[in-house]
This record gives sequence, C-alpha cells and structure tokens, in this order.
Amino acid sequence: MKIVVCIKQVVTREWQLRVNDQKTWIRDQDASFELNEPDAYALEEALRLKEKHGGEVIVCSAGPARAAQVIREALARGADRAIHVESDALASADAVSIAQSLAGAIRDEQVDLVLTGLQSDDQGFGQVGVVLAETLGMPHATIIMEVQAGEASGVRVKRELEGGWFQWVTLPLPALLTIQSGINQLRYATLKGIMAAKKKEIRKVTPAQAPAPSQRISRLYFPEKARKTQMIGGGAAEAAKDLVRRLREDARAL
Amino acid sequence: MILVVAEHRDGALNRASLETIAAAQHAGGPLKIVVLGSGMETVVGQLAAADAAEILIVDDPALEPYTADGFVLALEQVIRAENPERVFLPHTYQTRDFAPALAARVQRPLVTDCIAVRDGGYARPVFQGKLHADVAVDGPHLATFQIGAFRADAMKSGASPAPARKAAIAIDASRIRQKPEAPFKEARQAVDLSQAERIVAVGRGIKSQEHLAIAQQLAQAMGAELAASRPICDAGWLPMDRQIGSSGQTVAPKLYVALGISGAIQHLVGMKGARTIVAINKDAEAPIFEVADYGIAGDLFEVVPAMIAELHKSTA
Amino acid sequence: MSAALRIAQLQKERGGEPLAIAVLEKAREAGAHMLSGAVLDPSALVDLVPDFKAKGAPLAADVRRDDIYFLTRTAKFRLPITPPFFQNHGNYIISLNRFVKWLAGLVEAEGIDVFTGFPATEVLFDPPADAGQPARVAGVRTGDRGVDRHGRRKSTFEPGVDIRAKVTIFADGVRGNLTKSLVRQLGLDEGRSPQAYAIGIKELWEVPAGRLVAGRVVHTMGYPLKTEEFGGAFMYSLPDNVISIGLVSGLDYRDPMFDPHIAFQHLKRHPLIASVLEGGQIIRYGAKALPEGGWYTIPKTYAAGALIAGDAAGFMNSVRLKGIHLAMRTGMFAAETAFDAIRRGDTSEAAMKAYDDKVQGSSVRRELYPVRNVHQAFSHGSLAGAAFAGLSLLTRGWWFTDPMPSHGGWTRIRKLAEYYKDARPDPDATMNPVRIDRQLTFDRLTNVHYSGTRHVEDQPSHLIVHDATVCATRCREEYGNPCIRFCPANVYEMVDAGDGTKKLQINASNCVHCKTCDIMDPYQIIDWVPPEGGGGPQYDGM
Repeated sequence: MKIVVCIKQVVTREWQLRVNDQKTWIRDQDASFELNEPDAYALEEALRLKEKHGGEVIVCSAGPARAAQVIREALARGADRAIHVESDALASADAVSIAQSLAGAIRDEQVDLVLTGLQSDDQGFGQVGVVLAETLGMPHATIIMEVQAGEASGVRVKRELEGGWFQWVTLPLPALLTIQSGINQLRYATLKGIMAAKKKEIRKVTPAQAPAPSQRISRLYFPEKARKTQMIGGGAAEAAKDLVRRLREDARAL
Repeated sequence: MILVVAEHRDGALNRASLETIAAAQHAGGPLKIVVLGSGMETVVGQLAAADAAEILIVDDPALEPYTADGFVLALEQVIRAENPERVFLPHTYQTRDFAPALAARVQRPLVTDCIAVRDGGYARPVFQGKLHADVAVDGPHLATFQIGAFRADAMKSGASPAPARKAAIAIDASRIRQKPEAPFKEARQAVDLSQAERIVAVGRGIKSQEHLAIAQQLAQAMGAELAASRPICDAGWLPMDRQIGSSGQTVAPKLYVALGISGAIQHLVGMKGARTIVAINKDAEAPIFEVADYGIAGDLFEVVPAMIAELHKSTA
Repeated sequence: MSAALRIAQLQKERGGEPLAIAVLEKAREAGAHMLSGAVLDPSALVDLVPDFKAKGAPLAADVRRDDIYFLTRTAKFRLPITPPFFQNHGNYIISLNRFVKWLAGLVEAEGIDVFTGFPATEVLFDPPADAGQPARVAGVRTGDRGVDRHGRRKSTFEPGVDIRAKVTIFADGVRGNLTKSLVRQLGLDEGRSPQAYAIGIKELWEVPAGRLVAGRVVHTMGYPLKTEEFGGAFMYSLPDNVISIGLVSGLDYRDPMFDPHIAFQHLKRHPLIASVLEGGQIIRYGAKALPEGGWYTIPKTYAAGALIAGDAAGFMNSVRLKGIHLAMRTGMFAAETAFDAIRRGDTSEAAMKAYDDKVQGSSVRRELYPVRNVHQAFSHGSLAGAAFAGLSLLTRGWWFTDPMPSHGGWTRIRKLAEYYKDARPDPDATMNPVRIDRQLTFDRLTNVHYSGTRHVEDQPSHLIVHDATVCATRCREEYGNPCIRFCPANVYEMVDAGDGTKKLQINASNCVHCKTCDIMDPYQIIDWVPPEGGGGPQYDGM
C-alpha cells in the first residue's frame, strides 16, 4: 500500500500565546513547535498499515523551512520518504491554499491512501483533508477511529458520530481519511530510527503561485472576559435555590 | 439570501439546525432552509414553524442514508439553482464530513466553527479556544456554526408555516462512492467529556472518596457528566479520563459546575471556555471565582444537597 | 555543545578518519532545560566561534550599566562603585535557552547527531586493563521508554540503549545524575571539599514600555535574605521590554522553615523591583541549582574514557556569578583532549589527564583559584563573606586555612527545636507569609504552569525517596518537612493519609529538574533520576 500522510507543524500546546503587532497571527519567532497531535495519530496509523500490508509511507508537509523538524520526526518514526512544500506563507494560510499546495505535491504519486489528522491544533479548520480529497478527486471519510484495509473492495473505516454513535463505511481506493486523535499508541522514534532518518529523501517542492485567499484573519485576540462573577449570598438552602433558578431562567443552562 | 442546511437522523431534527436558523435570522435578510434525505415529513413540519421564506425539500432515496458524496452532489445543485449569498450549516460531525468538499466543489470559501457573526465575516476560536479570530471573507461563501453558539430557543417563529417546495434535483447514485453501514452505539473505552453538554467537576474540597456520591447525585439531577481536577484523579478516586485540565481534557460545555475546586491555572485552562461556570467553594478568595459566572462561597456539603432537592422539585 | 562543536572544528582542521560523535540531550529540544540569568562573558565564545556575530549569535543586549544595591525591606542603597568582579563592560545579557539552541544549530550543521529526548541514566563501565586500576568508562545507557507508573511495560515500550564510546564527556549540569554516580563509583571527590549549591528562581516578564533601557544589569544583596543566608537577586533588562528577574538563595541555610520561593515573592514586592514589574505580565518561570563551591569543590575531572566539564564539575565563578564561559571553555578543552586521545588510540586515565593539565594552565584556573574560598567565607554570614571577597582581590584568595573548611550545605540546616526553641512552628505554616495576588506574586502551582513543564503522566516517579516512612515521622518532627518549601515546583506535599497522620505525596510531573531536592534533603535520601526522555520544562527565552 502506498500511503501519504499529511502532517503539520504547530506551536506547542504549552506555548504562551501572544498576538503579533498587526493582530493577524501569533508571535512565533523563537517559539517551540511540535507535530500536530491528530497528525501524529494519522502517521502511527499509516505505519501500522504498512507493517500489516506492506508498502510505503510518505509524509508530506506544507509549511516554512522549520517544518523540516516534524518531517524528520516522522521519518525517524518510520516513514520512508518525505515531501516538503516549502513556503513561509503557508504557516498561517487558509485551508484551501494549504490543500491546493499539498495536492500539487502528491498528485503524481499514485497513492492508495491519504491520511491526515482531523484538524490542526492551531487554526482548527478541519477542512484541509476533505478539500484535498475533493481536489484529488478521491472519496473521503472523516473522524476515523479504525481502518481495515487489504480487501479488493477498498478500505472499511469506522467513523465517529455524535453522542457515542459510530458507523462503518467502505470506500474504494484511492481514498482519503481524516484520523481522530487517540486511536492508537504512538511509537517512540528510536536512536536507530533517528539516524536512519538522516539518509531518507526529503523532496522539496515550491508551491504553485496560489490565488489570493478568500478568507483571512482580520483580528486575532484573547476572548474578552465578559463575565462578571455574580456571587450568590444567603444561607446554603436559599443560595442553592437562587442558583438553580438563575441557571434555569437567566443562563438557560439547565 | 441565506440558505440554512438542516440536519436530521431517523426522523428527528437535530436541534443544532434550529440554532443555525437562529444564526441566519440574526445575520439578517431573506432566509431559506434546505433539508435532504428521504421521507422527512415530520422534520419538514418542524422546520416550517421557523420564520423563513421557504423550505426546500431534496427528497431522493440516494440521500438516505447520509453519504458525503450524495450530499455534495445534491447541495451543489441546490446552490447553483438558488445562488445564496451565504450557506449556513451546524458544525456537526456530519457537516464536517461533507461541507469542505461542497465548498471546494462550488469554489466558495468555507468558514468553520463560527461562534458569532461579524461585519464582513465571523468570529471563530483558534488555538483550541485560547484565542478568537475575526475572519473576513470575500464574496458568496459557506459558514458552519459551533453547537451552542446560538440558542435554539432564539429562533424566531413565523406567523404562518413557511411554504415547502420539492427541489428539482437529480442524483446519480452511481457517483456515490461511500458505502455506509447502519450506525450503532458503543460504550466508549474512555469518556469523551468534550462532548458533554453539562459537567459537574469535583476538587479537593470533596474531602474523601465517599463524598463523591453527592457530586454524582448532582450530576444525575442535572443530566451532567462527572469530572474532576487533577488531585482527585491522582488519588485514584476517579479514573484519569475524567480529569479536566492541562494534563487531562479541555472542555467547553454549556454548563460547568466546580465543586470544591480551587481553580489552579492548570485546571482553568481546561474549562474556562465553558458557557456558564458555577463555582462552589468554602474559600471566597479561591481563583475559581475569577472565571465563574455564578459563585457560592459556602460549604458544598450543604449547598449541593439543597440544589439537588431544588432540581428534583421543579422537574416533579 | 561547545565540546561537540570543537571536535567538529578539530576534525575539519586535522582531517583524517571522521569520529562518530553523538550528543545526548534529555530535553525535547536543545535548550529547553537551560535556564540562567544571564550575563555572558564572551571570552570562550570568541575563541569557539570567532564569527559569532555573523553567525547570528543571539546576544540579546550589550551590558550598558551595572548597579549593585543593598536592600532592606523598604529601602535600597546603591553601591557608589562597582567592584571589579561585578563589572560587566564588554559582556552580553543573553537568554541561555536561546544561546544553547543556537549552538545546537551550529553543531547539527556540522553533521553531528544531537539526540534530543534521550537522557542517559547509567554510566557503563568496562573492567580495567590491569587488575589494580579502576574500571574504564565505556559509555552510557539511555533510559527506558514506555514504562507505566507501576513499573510495567506499555505496548510502546522501548528499552534503553547502551551507547559505547571511547570517550564520554559528561556535561550533565549542576548535580548531574551521571556525574554524581561517576564521582561516587570512582571516588573522584576524594580529598575535595564538598560541593556547595544555591537555588536560583527566575521569572521572565514583559513590562510596559519605558521601564528600563535594555542592557541594565542590577544585582542586589540583603533583603529578603537574612545575613546568615547566602544569596542575592538579579534583574536584567532585555530588548522588547522583557525583564529577567531572579533570586539566588544558598542551599546551606540554617532555618528549616526557610522558603526560597516565598523569599522570591517578597523580593518582587520590594519597591525597587515592583516599580519595574508593575502592570507587566509574567511570561515564564523556572528554577535551577547552581554549583557555588568553587575551585576546591571541583572533583577529579578525568578518568579512563571519561571527562567532566561545565557545571557538572562545578566550574562556576560564584563571585562574578558567571559559569557559561567556563562551561564552554572546559567543554572545548575536553573536546581537544578527547580528540587527541582517540586519534592516538590511548584513552587511558593518563591520557585523559591532559584535560586537567589544560584547565590548570588556563584562564579557568586563573579565574577560579583566587576566589577559591569566597563562598566558604559566606558561611560565616554575608558581611564576613563580602569582606573576604573584597580582601581576596588583594590577597588573591589567601587565608590562614586553605582550603577554608566547609561542609555540605544540607548539613547546616538546623532542627526545628534548635532553631525555634520554644516558638516551634507548625510544619505546614508559612513563616513570613506574603500576599499572593497572582499579578505580581504567585503560588508555586501557578508558577509551575509558566515553566511549561510537561511529562508523560503514566510513568514511574523519577524522584526516588529511599525511605518515605521518614517523612511523616522523623523528618516532620525534626525539620518540619523542608522539601515542601525548598522545591520550587510543588512536587512534594504532605497530605492527610486519612487516619490522622500525614504522608508524602510526590507530584513528579511538576518537576522542573532543578535538583534542589537531591541536594538539600537533610537525610540525603532523595535521588533525582531522569524521567522519560523529552519530559521537563520548556524554558523558552530563559
């Protein structure tokens, strides 16, 4: 099976976010970065599929030069080779621009399966995977918990639905899946893996000139604390009654 | 004109559709609602109550059950025929499955997970809700709305039922590549608190494992999930998957009730996105009160039973 | 990093069969666990990377002005003249985290592997060539990964790897776990004075514009420390309205109720500091121990197959408050020694001694020897210490007894009964409490959040308390559980055991790897071992 995994480098979850002066993005010079968590699970799933069914795992990332960090990490965990669509603008681009640059890079690869994380920890559009599928003309399924491959009919996948519901869906190959976080145990990159990664191919691709994005962040800000804490006084019984009433009538939370 | 795509399953309308209609009414202008599937009389009837210009029915056996390909094929035709300025959808699992493909197919931008309508665009959370972004969008577009961002009861009803019309849509079933099986329910291994609408969380103030019962009763009375701050899970009183905070889950439910939780920043980062936060703690200076909407500085062992009694009373 | 870079340079200069070189770093990325004030003496940098400016060395600000203050609770007295060892003209204020990240970049550009997320947990030994000799150091073993909190292997388990090397350069920092065990195994501290340590607690702040021009270096003595307590504060101004503020407290205090973290909060509330920080925002928090003992506390730094460099050996000038240039310089010397030895095929102890010879004949000795007794003088109080420091400028460190006698800092802590006599405090009380407003002052747990510290939760505790029964009984009675006070990260707590007694709770995932507990525990029963690789603080900008 030839599997492409699309991965994104994002700022670490612990990073103390500060907005840049133009208020259009965060200040990320000298930030710490990591592999987008759902993408890590997508990569792990791809590696397991390769172990089970043979084939090749290719990672692809669209981002600035520093994205090489997560590419190397993916190669160290066991991906066979990589494609880096390098562009600074892609760090904070919209989903369509990112999907189009990824599509341009992997279109000629004759893949069986494309895996992406269901969304990114930074912008959280949840679109790139699906738009990529549409651009490549592949069927897709999202928020996948389990993948069964190896049948001629294609791939049978378990979709997560709301409220504890699930659904199995079969898709013909080639197909694209967006993977849910936490569906497997992430393997460690071993020392051997890290050293071997240095010899693996990272093909650099410049993205085609993209049209101006049709959506952009006009202002990035910390959510205003519109809350004014209402302290409810009185004895326990009255306060409890008062609280329940307010939750029912004012906050409509019950 | 704003076109709202309603969602239903097994003959029941998803409440989020009403929220989306409320969002469209808030945004202003003519409003149409489209519903897809097969045999949707009840659902159409519910939708017709809204103050809208028209309900479009796309009735085709190929659309039942839901598939991404089917919905994209159908809605693509609806959008071309109706040419709405904006298409609003609820940000449900189903919408997330097809909306980006639809937007790419009709070559219009899609803004997902919106929490408010702004001039020229929308506001949406980024960086897992730590920041908000005002997004400006050009031209005709689609937008999905976060569940709960608008209230279903804020939807305005029409003076008379909205007229319903069958849309002239042809779907080539052979172009649908997904083959779905019947959905099923499964007890998840780990509790996904991020899906809970209401959460009752306990902290050190609960004092001992036996006292969890009182929190459990409150949760039941409220229809809430039980969760905890870190020390409770570290002590083994509740499993790790019930932990809220930087080393547990991040949640943004409609209601979060913090019992005996001091509000250390490690906990706050996991829950301060909740719509309504209630804190009950003996210490009036506890940091939790800084993020709470309602606070009671008192003994939770007295307040909580009184709350349970009050809750049962009203539902009786 | 300096050692690795130096070896790469030597290889390029001298040619020949390239050496296989690996750098093991326990943090998730180079620099993540690095914390310091810091004012850099560029002398070693100039030698290691002469074109450091062109290579983009992140030197945040040139030092423009040095000030020393003596503080009382409400007032400040500026020293009219700055003593020579405190003059920083020609030095730079830097972020050590950024500096190490930059160095690591240079190392990797030379093709050297920097394996991040790989702590070494054990030194490997080979039997010696001759029976009478000590064992040879053969390399290190890295830590296991994928072990759950009960010690069981998870499905992702990866065993540690033995990395064998002809020469191992130990640069595992202050109270490094490997160096600690190496010194113990080979008796390298025989005839040396015990190491003396301090804990440095630091915060990075962003303050409103116009408070301090970048390049200001301020040091203080006095408040909030008592004359019997060693230490002082620093405040450095960086570009973009960033302030680095910290308090160094000697880990040889007598008062068992002393709390360095509370002392730091008091410092911030002093008008001199508060006026700078007011209206600002904390960006980051961290803590680390410092090796203060000086020349006589440095162990034998070489053995067959091994060299010890930097803070791990104690190469720090506690009077000038500088150690980075010494770490770099000794790293370079270690590299040169290792390179020569490997090329000649002789990595015996005799060959490794060349490292010590280099150090002895270098600026390292010229700098550290004259101040060899200064820290020890401070054990007689800060006035005596300051007087001696001043005196040593003239006498080049001479004293009647040389070395000046000293004891491990952890031996100086007095028992509650002895220090407080009849006014015995509750072990859970805070002596000298300070108002925590979470704007200027913070509690430990909130501070830990700003250290960015993260560990895999499901792993065994990396703080090994060899006899936890001591905690609730003997220690509580004798010292009042000082661990709950000297740990800057809320790792140690005494909680109700449910039966009226207390028990020790270890919140290992809060640990910021400062090593204070390993150093200061009065019974010396705490061993800090590296947690699973990659875990620890994220000291961006520190």
